[in-house]
Amino acid sequence: MTGRARIVLWLGRRGLNEVLRVPGASIPGVLAPTIFLLGLTSMFGAAARLPGFTADDFATFIVPVGMLQGAAFSGAATGVNLARDIERGWFDRLLLVPAPRLTLLAGIVASAALRSLLPSSVVFAAGLLIGVPWPGLGATALAFALVMGLALGLACYATTLALAFRTQQAAPLMQMGGFVLVLFTPAFAPEDLLAGWMHAIATVNPVTYVLEGARQGFVGDVTWPRTWPALAALGGMLALLGSLAVRGMRRTGR
Amino acid sequence: MAAIETEGLERTFKGGLTAVAGVDLAVREGEVYGFLGPNGAGKTTTVRMLVTLLRPTGGRATVAGHDVAREPDAVRRRIGVALQEAALDPLMTGRELVELQATLHGISPARVRGRARELLERVDLLDAQDRRVGTYSGGMKRRLDLALALIHEPAVLFLDEPTTGLDPVSRMTLWDEVRRLKAAGTTVFLTTQYLEEADQLADRVGIIDGGRLVAEGTPAELKAEAGHARLDLTFAAGGDGPDLEAAAAALRPFGTPAPGTDGTHLRLALPGGAAEIAPIVRALDEAGVELRGLQVVQPTLDDVFVARTGHRLDPEEPRADAAAGPR
Amino acid sequence: MTRVVAALARRALRTTARRPQFVAPLVLFPTLFLAANVGGLTRATSLPGFPPVPSFLDFQLAGSLTQALLLGGVASGIAIALEIEMGFFDRLLAAPIPRVAIVLGRLCAAAVVALGQVAWFLAVDLAFGGSVEGGPLGALAVAAIGVVAGVGFGATGITIALLARNVATVQGVFPLVFVILFGSSAFFPRDLLQSPAREVARYNPLSLIADGLRDPLVGPVSAGPVLEGLAAAGGVAVVMTAACVLALRRRLARA
Repeated sequence: MTGRARIVLWLGRRGLNEVLRVPGASIPGVLAPTIFLLGLTSMFGAAARLPGFTADDFATFIVPVGMLQGAAFSGAATGVNLARDIERGWFDRLLLVPAPRLTLLAGIVASAALRSLLPSSVVFAAGLLIGVPWPGLGATALAFALVMGLALGLACYATTLALAFRTQQAAPLMQMGGFVLVLFTPAFAPEDLLAGWMHAIATVNPVTYVLEGARQGFVGDVTWPRTWPALAALGGMLALLGSLAVRGMRRTGR
Repeated sequence: MAAIETEGLERTFKGGLTAVAGVDLAVREGEVYGFLGPNGAGKTTTVRMLVTLLRPTGGRATVAGHDVAREPDAVRRRIGVALQEAALDPLMTGRELVELQATLHGISPARVRGRARELLERVDLLDAQDRRVGTYSGGMKRRLDLALALIHEPAVLFLDEPTTGLDPVSRMTLWDEVRRLKAAGTTVFLTTQYLEEADQLADRVGIIDGGRLVAEGTPAELKAEAGHARLDLTFAAGGDGPDLEAAAAALRPFGTPAPGTDGTHLRLALPGGAAEIAPIVRALDEAGVELRGLQVVQPTLDDVFVARTGHRLDPEEPRADAAAGPR
Repeated sequence: MTRVVAALARRALRTTARRPQFVAPLVLFPTLFLAANVGGLTRATSLPGFPPVPSFLDFQLAGSLTQALLLGGVASGIAIALEIEMGFFDRLLAAPIPRVAIVLGRLCAAAVVALGQVAWFLAVDLAFGGSVEGGPLGALAVAAIGVVAGVGFGATGITIALLARNVATVQGVFPLVFVILFGSSAFFPRDLLQSPAREVARYNPLSLIADGLRDPLVGPVSAGPVLEGLAAAGGVAVVMTAACVLALRRRLARA
């Protein structure tokens, strides 16, 4: 293993400390998507009876949404934690290291991908418990891969904000990005049933394609025509948000 | 070769505030350089530029032979920086932090463990190495911070106010460590608000105020420049208080004495040093003035500071600080 | 006493306004959630059994307002917990003022915040094509229920803060807000809820409050739901303010 890979690994491991060493602190973030899943299902469950609804029941339809929400929470938390590290001076210590800034950034956001597995697994398990059918191994793997990718992208977004504002007060801004991106999609109903304006937003929202990709197996079979747009949308998001984060990282100290 | 060299170093912030307005420094290899100044003088901004955390907006700086703006990574490899106390992750153990720092500095995995142990032993934290840093005392955190700064055996060590808020014992421990580093040939750039600290540790001292270097030299040179030793004379109170006029008259051949604050003191400059004391005492005795006590007062860096900047170095002295109790 | 309460209320409002990161969740998140629900489920009104309403936005609005008021209660609790952690609360206790004034001042501020939230959501409703079918009288009814409920939720948050004495615990209540809201008819007609939410919603006072807030928005004001909503909000306010005062006494007795 190269020195750079070791740095990414160490920093990623440190990011997990928040989850592993502060008992209780991570519980709201881990459980929130599941609470949403259960709450929304019990409230809006009847919506599955609408003509044109593509899933047999509402829970099956929104389990992937809950998993992506887990990714959004983890991404935002990465930015909030970085802002805290900047406030406390820990980030200065990191900047003093003779390693490429890109390596440091990778280390910071890598933990988001790992952390997102926790809330999304809880959502997934809760879904199976309340009767959501098993989507198949391939679909499950694809869904979790997309969750990790989205967490990475949103961590880059939140990191950019943290580097720009340098304070935890920017937290709502970091959380709102993921919130809007995940819910302004065909989250609660198939595309054809959305309100006109929501349909318009969902069409240009890249997370729509990520969600449709993650929804395969839950609704319909896994097919290449729905998989590649998900990967392309995620790739585009990662490229854009990643380069913003890199730019933010390069500009620190200017 | 100079360990640290700056020419017209400048930093202006976005709002237009110029924190550092053209600083020229030359710190020799193996030297302990004390960088003194009150809060807001430009001390921290200068250090942040020297350690590559902030880009200069004017002038240039080389540290350990490398330009801070053009070759930041080369500089980072050669320097160690002990930051303020809070820059430690409270959730990690001391050992994890040292091992992380070693990894970040590219020390090979085979050597990480041994190097960490060596440093923890050196700063006397072996017993506490597996406890989370959040449970450490202020002094332990500073020692750990020092260990982190030394992980890659840096040629130049920056210590940013290393003893602010420490109790006297921890302060002495840190001072001893700085002396050991100096003996081993490490260049130390020490910022401090404490005159005593600079006086005790530094080979040379630079005083910054308003973004400019206002004085530089060895502590002895600076103090000599600030003036002579003084003789502080206390007289016994008679019926209506001591006869200061008679005393002043008797002292006239030696200079012009200045009255103290409470009406029992006179101060006199001693350009000839301690050798002048005996004739002064004799003259007073002959004039029949009863002397209660006398003290030779050496000029301090504070006097230098007042002479150069027109105001005192603000913060409380270390002892008063420690008396405020542990933090 | 009145002057002390007013001064403390003003102070509470000022510190709230100066912390944008606390204000944002109070209106922004419920508004975004409203947008997501309405945009996604706008066709829900065509479900068999859905009561006749002008639009899904009009129906949802009361739910989002209830949610915002609840989050306002959590924010009041966090503010008090912060003051306890920072020691400012003890300074207030040491001041020569009636102890109850500390709680009343905070509750007055909660009432003002609640009124602002009502105004915001009515504005959102009108801006995005909704309507207040009950007219000015209806708007007044919404404001009345909203303010009383806001005080009740504020008292709940403060009670939790006085008992827990730390910010983390009060923040941990945050997800609970959603849990109790999901078990009510705030966001969907009770008859269309899934079991067991439907049974829980029947006894959840939030159902009464949300239905009371909704009635003047979706049709002409009818006395029944509005009075029920007002009564439920008033009940929460009285019980929780009493609990709040008791918690303060307990804290003083221990200190």
